[in-house]
Amino acid sequence: MSKSPSGSSRPARPTTNTNNKNTKNRTTTKQSTSDVRPGSKSSVSSDAKAKPGEATPPTRFRSRHPLITALVPVGLVVAAIAAMVVVKAAGTSNPPASASSHINATGGSSGTGDTGTTVLSPQVVAALSVPAATLDAVGSPSGDVLPNKIGNGSVLKGADGKPLITYIGAEYCPFCAAERWSLAVALSRFGTFSNLSGTHSSDSDEFPDTQTLSFYGSSYSSPYIDFQPVEEATNQPAGAGYQTLQAPTAAQSALVAKYDPQGSIPFLDIANRYLITGSSFSPQVLQGLSRSQIAADLSDPDSAVAQAIDGTANDITAAIAAVTGNQPSSVGSSATIAAIAQKLGA
Amino acid sequence: MTVARPVARRVPGWVSPTSLGLSLAAVAISSYLTVTHYTDPAALACPDTGIVNCTLVTTSSWSVLLGVPLAVLGVVWAVVMTALTTPWAWRSAARWVSGARLVVSGAGAAMVLYLVYVELFRIGAICLWCTAMHVTAVCLFGVILGGRTASSHRVPASI
Repeated sequence: MSKSPSGSSRPARPTTNTNNKNTKNRTTTKQSTSDVRPGSKSSVSSDAKAKPGEATPPTRFRSRHPLITALVPVGLVVAAIAAMVVVKAAGTSNPPASASSHINATGGSSGTGDTGTTVLSPQVVAALSVPAATLDAVGSPSGDVLPNKIGNGSVLKGADGKPLITYIGAEYCPFCAAERWSLAVALSRFGTFSNLSGTHSSDSDEFPDTQTLSFYGSSYSSPYIDFQPVEEATNQPAGAGYQTLQAPTAAQSALVAKYDPQGSIPFLDIANRYLITGSSFSPQVLQGLSRSQIAADLSDPDSAVAQAIDGTANDITAAIAAVTGNQPSSVGSSATIAAIAQKLGA
Repeated sequence: MTVARPVARRVPGWVSPTSLGLSLAAVAISSYLTVTHYTDPAALACPDTGIVNCTLVTTSSWSVLLGVPLAVLGVVWAVVMTALTTPWAWRSAARWVSGARLVVSGAGAAMVLYLVYVELFRIGAICLWCTAMHVTAVCLFGVILGGRTASSHRVPASI
């Protein structure tokens, strides 16, 4: 299987696709005991006028500090929210390891029961929203392969009129495995993912079992961009290649044919203004690491993982910001992104 | 012959206007969120500082529940709460009114927990307008509980 310098060629394409008192006697009397507010004249006077020997025994009321009683459930709600904030804050600085984000490292053997993908733990998903300060601290490391400027300056837009970001990759591909982390970190600055899954690259290719995430079955929403990912194949061997997962649309195939005739993956087209083919850093930096470890390192600007993933994410972010008119302002106002944009010729 | 009829509980004087005010505030906030949802979500008057990003939250996949925007559900909830917190509703002797007021406000508080979870752990951003709605909902729940407790937690004690 031939590969581009840092990419993978596509597998042979199979013909079929897989894919929440006193209870008053509520009768007769208009002025009921429960109608009397604590401390009101009527209740006090009834007590004050009571004399021994009267036919009707006097009744006295005491209050149970109703506000305090009411505050208990409200306090529970507030405490629950406070607990979530604390957990979030702790998780951001050091995402905890999670068993659910660890996948069977033996890879594609059908006998292992490894289906190739697993639910991505919430901690890993949360870690994709790398703090801006961390991203700024990483910047754009000098060894980064920057996105190539392409096209005639026009911005390719999706059906909803937002700049279109097209990604084509495959779950078996180690270079896609590396690049996906950066892309997910970058895209998390412009929108939100749901239903991301965890996967790993092939165990029989270069950089085997590189832990990553998969865009297959995920959805992405953003007020700024339209993201269309394609995962062409799983990491499960099938014949000479891998099981087919998704096929690019005609328009996506045309993009590949125009800008990357060799058909290498990962392929990332940023609104026909910038192009990345192959991974921007070596998957070697992720070797032997679990997804939880990678996720934890994302917020440590001095880690090799953050230098590679966050650095590339900054490059991708600058390219995307160039086609969104520097929106959102949290991205557009970043001096780091502005500096990279200059290097990109944006 | 006397005729049995329900008698309304009396609540402290501050409960009715406070709850009504909070309900109306909820109507206003949720209406604003709904209008921007259908016009320009990016036009929300809200700072964009990374962790605070209203647009990111209000346009996320979690901003819609069963095909209905949460902002619209917020308006519906706030209108119902407004109806249940009018002076007439507070004077009502019907037990279901009191019950509905407690249940609906409680559901609002429970929804707040879910939405805060989604903002913090699924989206990774906070929407200030949503937070204002959350504070209003929790305060409303507290006021209604306070009013209910003040009217019911008075027990006769023998002398």
